[in-house]
Amino acid sequence: MQQEPLGLSQQFVQTQKPQVCVHTLLENEVEATKILRSLEMTRELGAGTIVQFFPWAYVEWQAGQYDWKRTDSIVRLARLQGLHIIARLGLVPGWARNPGTTLTNLPDAAFADFAEYAAAFAARYAADIQRIIIWNEPNLSAEWGFQPVDPARYARLLAVSYARIKQANPAAVVLAGALAPTLEKPGSRVGLNELDYVAALYQLGAQEHFDALAVHTYGFRAAPEVPPHPDQLNFRRVELLRQVMVNNGDSHKPITITETGWNDHARWLHAVRPSQRAAYTLRAFQYAEANWDWLATMCIWALRYPADLRGYPDGYTLINAEFLPKPVYFELQAYARGWAAQESLWLRPPGET
Amino acid sequence: MAAAAGRNLMRRRIFFLFAQAALAVALFVATILHSAIADRERAFPTGAIRIGVDASYPPFAVDEDGALRGLDIDLAAAIAREIGMPAQFRNIGFYSLYDALISGEVDALVSSLPIDAARADDVRYTSDYFNNGLVLVSAADSPSLDIENLAGQRISFEYASSADSLLRGWSASSSELQRMPYELPTYALDALRLGHADAALTDNLTYRFYQRQHSQWASASQFITHDPYAIAVRRDNHDAWQLIEAALGQLRAGGELARLSALWI
Repeated sequence: MQQEPLGLSQQFVQTQKPQVCVHTLLENEVEATKILRSLEMTRELGAGTIVQFFPWAYVEWQAGQYDWKRTDSIVRLARLQGLHIIARLGLVPGWARNPGTTLTNLPDAAFADFAEYAAAFAARYAADIQRIIIWNEPNLSAEWGFQPVDPARYARLLAVSYARIKQANPAAVVLAGALAPTLEKPGSRVGLNELDYVAALYQLGAQEHFDALAVHTYGFRAAPEVPPHPDQLNFRRVELLRQVMVNNGDSHKPITITETGWNDHARWLHAVRPSQRAAYTLRAFQYAEANWDWLATMCIWALRYPADLRGYPDGYTLINAEFLPKPVYFELQAYARGWAAQESLWLRPPGET
Repeated sequence: MAAAAGRNLMRRRIFFLFAQAALAVALFVATILHSAIADRERAFPTGAIRIGVDASYPPFAVDEDGALRGLDIDLAAAIAREIGMPAQFRNIGFYSLYDALISGEVDALVSSLPIDAARADDVRYTSDYFNNGLVLVSAADSPSLDIENLAGQRISFEYASSADSLLRGWSASSSELQRMPYELPTYALDALRLGHADAALTDNLTYRFYQRQHSQWASASQFITHDPYAIAVRRDNHDAWQLIEAALGQLRAGGELARLSALWI
């Protein structure tokens, strides 16, 4: 990675909506100036928090030797922009995996090694990072090393990690879940729906080993106000997860939505029109603000990719690879910073005027 | 004796040279003939042109009860006719098209594909057959718009679209430009047609469809951006690229491409 820019001064986020957050993808950025620009545009957006992935495989690529250079830089640059970080940990180094497996494949024998990394991370960044997510979407086989998903194994990983993180930084907040929204039924080779998965975690007693639940909830083609249903994927599906928590006596724990959004790519069946995407995104924040007192933070997937992917994932970003903001960025900015909101985002159809 | 032997030797040499020349000519002709046949066989070894298409993007390709219809379908069939081989269509999700091409499951993708320079290592594109860039549309009887000076002009567009992004940039340099955002691009064109706007900025496909639905309305347009659609083949299948490009050229020169475009768009 290039050297950090010199002469940076401390900045502060100006926002009226501290719950606004974006998911960044800085771990694969080569140039420090691009990391800085991403973080500046996050601050200018009025988002006070980012979710950022800190891959274990990038830091401890040799067993027992931590290379913190890249993570130090990201954390320092975020701090200078006045941003809070929710850290997502995962991605297994080669030495900890079984031969021939993918980077999401964590053998039982390596649980303790992962927990050591999580503890080292929590201790090193105790002054800057309080919230730590354990793994990503373990309810999908692809994210669980292409093995059958297994809440019991994830619960064990959570328990080992929780104990070591708390030893390293008692103030740390451990987030579980970050489960993918999916309708997969038990026995599916692809994954397991997040409602059954979280219920299974409670049956396994895992509530002792997390302080908050991280949730991924996407709107797909539904408006943000559409009521949830177990057989449908939409924005308010998070309410069903909340109900599972309440049913298990965990109503005191907050939920952090670490991924959400709508997609406006022209060639994706689950996308909406650009105008709908902007309107739905704003209405989602407004709905959450009015109705969900248990919601801590809500993070848009995603601020920017290091390179445009020339496919439907591009329809989720707020700014493109060349740092050109999309109109949805400006609307979210006006909301977050409390600038005078327009009565309507668009004019009435000409035939109606 | 020696002279007679020399003449015989000379005759044999001349005969041998003629024979060599005749053989070379025969080989040359055979190579050309073989090449013309072998090109197709090398390009499409299954005896048919296997076309990958995502049939979920009207009017280019849709699946109507199992029957594929649309501009991409008709264009691919016309190309196959030009080449002289049957077309076999495979309906593949948009995000699996390139995998199907690179793995050899299909020979070509005719699926309104934007040209993607990042795929140049694996894929070669033909010349484009449709441009879905943004067009600035104005009424035919109004003065033509100068995009360098849009001060005071009322421009309608779809809110939050790529047209919106472009206009935000223009607005920064021409503060007098009047932005008129609408929920849908067709509303932006309605605004122009009904005289509420001086121009509309929209994608070419939407404009062409709108023209079709309002055939009495006379309008003019100019491309502001370019988003060309082209056919993709594997980079190592040079024969396929040559044959398809040549067929596309024939269809363009003969007016068939324009006829198909008018039929569907």
